[in-house]
Amino acid sequence: MLPDEIMQRIDREFPCRELQIRHLCALFSPSLPAPSLLVAHGLTATGKTSVIKTFLSLAEIPHAFINSRECITGRHLLERTTAACLDALDGHGGEGEGKIDRRPYARTENINALAMNLQRMLENWGQARLVLVLDGIDAQREAPATLLAALARFGERIPSLSIILITTLPPTTLHKPGTPHLHFPAYTRSALLQILNLHPPTIFPEPPSLEQYPDYTPDLAAEDDAWLWNRFLGAVWDSLSKHTGRDLISFRNTSMRLWRDFVRPITDGTFGTRDFSRLMVNRRHLFQGEEAVLDRIISAPDPNIAPSANGLPSTPSTALARKTKTIQHDLPYYTTHLLIAAYLASYNPSRTDPTYFMKHTDKRKNRRRVHTNNLTTASTPNTKARRIPRHLLTPSPFPLDRLLAIFRALLEGPVPQVADVAGGQAGGDVLEVGGRWRVGFGWEWVRGLGRGVGIEVGEYLVGGVEG
Amino acid sequence: MEHQRCYIYDPDQADGRSAKRQRTAKLASQAQLPARLQTYHELWSLQNQRIQATLEESEKVTQENIATFIRRTTEGVRDDLAGIPSGLIVAGPSIASHGPFFDRLGRRIKNITDSAYLVLTSGESPNLKTLLKNLIKKATSRVDDDDEEDLGRPSVSSRNAPKLLDFDLGHLQEWRNRNRVQSVVVVLQDSEAFDSGVLEQLVELVYSWRDRLPFVLLFGIATSAESFEDRLSGRTTRYLEGQKFDVTQSDEIIEKLFSAIVASTNVPLRIGPGLSRRILERQKDHVQNVQDFSDGLKYGYMSHFYANCTSIFLKDGLSFEDVSPEIFEAVRNLPSFRIRVEMMLEKSETNEIRSLLTSDQDLFQDTTANVDQGKQILYALSSAAIVFARLRHSLHVSPNVPLSSIWIRAASGDMVGSPLLRETMLSVKKLPSDKLDQLLTAFHGLDVTYFPINLSAYHHELTDLLKKSSSSTPLRTQHDVRNESLRTTVVAQKVLLSKHKANLSEEDNAYSDLVARLHDELDEYFSTTFIDPRALYLSEVLIYDLKSPHTEVFQPKPRFAIERALASPHDYLGCECCGVDNERAEDASLASTQPATAILYQLYLESGAIINVSDLWSAFNTIAGDAEDENTESKTMALFQRSLAELKYLGLIKPTKKKADHIAKAMWRGL
Ligand SMILES: Nc1ncnc2c1ncn2[C@@H]1O[C@H](COP(=O)(O)OP(=O)(O)OP(=O)(O)O)[C@@H](O)[C@H]1O
Ligand SMILES: [Mg+2]
Repeated sequence: MLPDEIMQRIDREFPCRELQIRHLCALFSPSLPAPSLLVAHGLTATGKTSVIKTFLSLAEIPHAFINSRECITGRHLLERTTAACLDALDGHGGEGEGKIDRRPYARTENINALAMNLQRMLENWGQARLVLVLDGIDAQREAPATLLAALARFGERIPSLSIILITTLPPTTLHKPGTPHLHFPAYTRSALLQILNLHPPTIFPEPPSLEQYPDYTPDLAAEDDAWLWNRFLGAVWDSLSKHTGRDLISFRNTSMRLWRDFVRPITDGTFGTRDFSRLMVNRRHLFQGEEAVLDRIISAPDPNIAPSANGLPSTPSTALARKTKTIQHDLPYYTTHLLIAAYLASYNPSRTDPTYFMKHTDKRKNRRRVHTNNLTTASTPNTKARRIPRHLLTPSPFPLDRLLAIFRALLEGPVPQVADVAGGQAGGDVLEVGGRWRVGFGWEWVRGLGRGVGIEVGEYLVGGVEG
Repeated sequence: MEHQRCYIYDPDQADGRSAKRQRTAKLASQAQLPARLQTYHELWSLQNQRIQATLEESEKVTQENIATFIRRTTEGVRDDLAGIPSGLIVAGPSIASHGPFFDRLGRRIKNITDSAYLVLTSGESPNLKTLLKNLIKKATSRVDDDDEEDLGRPSVSSRNAPKLLDFDLGHLQEWRNRNRVQSVVVVLQDSEAFDSGVLEQLVELVYSWRDRLPFVLLFGIATSAESFEDRLSGRTTRYLEGQKFDVTQSDEIIEKLFSAIVASTNVPLRIGPGLSRRILERQKDHVQNVQDFSDGLKYGYMSHFYANCTSIFLKDGLSFEDVSPEIFEAVRNLPSFRIRVEMMLEKSETNEIRSLLTSDQDLFQDTTANVDQGKQILYALSSAAIVFARLRHSLHVSPNVPLSSIWIRAASGDMVGSPLLRETMLSVKKLPSDKLDQLLTAFHGLDVTYFPINLSAYHHELTDLLKKSSSSTPLRTQHDVRNESLRTTVVAQKVLLSKHKANLSEEDNAYSDLVARLHDELDEYFSTTFIDPRALYLSEVLIYDLKSPHTEVFQPKPRFAIERALASPHDYLGCECCGVDNERAEDASLASTQPATAILYQLYLESGAIINVSDLWSAFNTIAGDAEDENTESKTMALFQRSLAELKYLGLIKPTKKKADHIAKAMWRGL
């Protein structure tokens, strides 16, 4: 395929990357010697992977593509590289040639072995050049320290090999001046809008039936979709994504999450498809909450609670529903106390235990003292160390006897001798002598637990937590 | 605390250790144990079937939802940006029941969908590499060869082409090419116990492979889906696209189980109200676990048939020859037998008494007949409890009292005259016709074996009445408050409230009459069936309600027992040497004859938070050692070392860095 054709094809699929594609075309033009090393870098979702992959396959350049994410160790990367290169060579072998005999390549123990393997397989290979793409190499797990520098030198030993390294930031450990770099800058607002406009979602989940609305042709519908989607994207960007989640995918996710809610008045028939400004006013609450920018595993809103009466904001109600559903399973009484005790043991420093849990001190008085202390420090501006509320810190481990002591202090009345630790909260061997424990659950949850049995956990936490 | 192991072999000259007091004296009443055992097996296997059926029934909906979810992921084209389909299965806090749950789920998923089902636990997954190895091993059932474990490569490789490392998901891909499953379901059974780093790496990896391997992730969650989600980074949650599945709450399951195996009608041996209450409370306060619940019941059954020889009468088709004479003696000693005899005496039925006391044959006839009758009475009682629960349910009387507590009250004989019953009957009296219609409809399909009232007749009558009635408003009874209006009159500056009955129409009158009859019949029914089962003749055979072995088994007090054993070993050993004399002199409880660990423990009790080991040793030596004989010192030392090690093992002491040559008390005591 001619370079111009390739250019056009890729540009249609991935707009706003002309410059990068042009560079690639120039660097890997068949008439010129290709560079032995190329670094492509850019933030996430800037099209590095997709553009380079599409380019290489359209230009029909033999290449092997290795995703570092799929390599568990440095060794794994090397093994996979050897295998992928062999596959690439096999795939591009001439008609009559058989497959490469793989027996000599059984092991790739280290980076040097990789160099030798590549050298050997390329020597016997007739064709011009193999491109090896290492995607996300900067995030390789358990990578040897010299990996990048060594890879950079491969070109000196193996003339018919080109390596493309894809990274997020330009690597600093390359030690090889004169390496061409290809930067994939983050998209601008207009670029994002242009890209996302390639595939606008539909307004109507099912297209309106042709019998009922004979004039509303699919073409017309598509036009409406694109028109509204474009404007909507602009609004989402300006109100939400500009501030957080600026990359293509986050932006797309946020927009998709809001879209159905946004067009509901249209599907209801309240507004027409082009009533953008009225829609904006009616649905402005969508752009005010933070719900849409947060990634959630359970994204599809529950159909039972979602659509409130039209015009009324539905987001707060769903948020509320989520809050109330937080505690799913009631725990047994003593287990609950045990977990609360564990939480306190993890988050309170042990030296404060007497203040909070001694039987003979008046708990409330002490608590108040600590509390006011905290208030005064917070209100005087010249205090050196403003304390972070305890519940925002990471939990620290504690010994079992401390847990039991606090457990005792929390409960009023006699304590039975057996209680089932709802295991799994703290990892490790339960019976290990002197083992130290740590809780694995958070503040919100334990507060809910406490309320279930009438304990305000915040009152027992050093420094106190409001609400 | 630094000590070396040493062994002194010094076989006892005397014959073994001091004889322990035998807890259970050899009972003569082990008559016909095998027969009772067999009866137990028959009855319990029936109950066990009910348990399994109830469990399966209660999980069915969730399991099917999950299977549907998995099936749907394989249909249609997926958006290439969409996350990994993942199910968050909130399986409840009882970790012990997660394993069996996911087993059952797996069986069902494999049945319904075309997928591989691989379960991983946190124990198998300390890091990503091991996790993947295990995953692949489970999928491909490949035998692990330990050679070159660290390199992760099977040893045969050197001869051949490059092989995949054994944590390479390429194995899974190859395997799938051969087996063509629609989806690969990976279950992280106790996902909260996984290291979140490992979890995130796994998710990222699986996401990256999603174009080649159709993964579905299922996360088993004990707390809540939200707290699970909060543990993952935003980036990871972006890769997942999930749905939440709630497994039935265990208290609901427990309620269902209770209704099925304790409170249902056809139960030959009843677990009594006291024990039932105890078991249910334990579920509420301590453990929440279906397995534990059914274990408790099973233990009740076992105890009954093991320890009570009259339980043989529960056997089906028992004949006189099957019963040995001791058992008849046992029956004659039952408290309820005595009460009966006394009552018969009052009625001067001396002949009957004589025959029961002297003739085993007569006693056999009488007992079997009475056991049967008692069973019927208890069936009727349970049936009445069920009717009552349903009645309350369809009347929407609040508070909502579950069948379990209704049954327990009924079985304790607390039902008749209770406010619960009175209040319910009162609302029956006031029932308007539309509600009554619903109620009677709700009672369709009731098991009427033990229910004497002909409800369908009432229903017919009601329908006829309603047909005749012209107005569209429901008919009301005379007790309905809406038929009364309050009339306020001011007489001599005093406010008089007087109730005034509105005039009832003819239909209303007929309706009132119908409801009144129904009410009376129900009332009669409840007051005759809700007897006190404990006053029942032969209730010892029919009901098991003993507290004793049950509490000790299910709510043991291990620490109390250990502390007591160490503080006063005589209580357990019952030997002459240290017990008898010292019992009077309370303070002089230390004696060299006691076990070494017990001596050390008592010294330990007397010392402060930090103990000097050499002081402890000299104190120990004075008591346990032999002052005259120098040679025995090494032996005493060995005992001392061993006792110290035992105290450490029990978690009573621990090494301390605060002071050289000292040990610290662990803060256990008194907790
Ligand atoms: N210019 C573009 N036009 C259309 N789609 C694009 C464009 N750039 C990126 N995308 C889309 O965004 C998604 C992410 O792109 P890609 O994986 O190539 O980004 P990346 O730079 O490799 O990200 P990362 O650094 O996270 O690996 C892909 O689905 C891709 O199709
Ligand atoms: Mg990429």
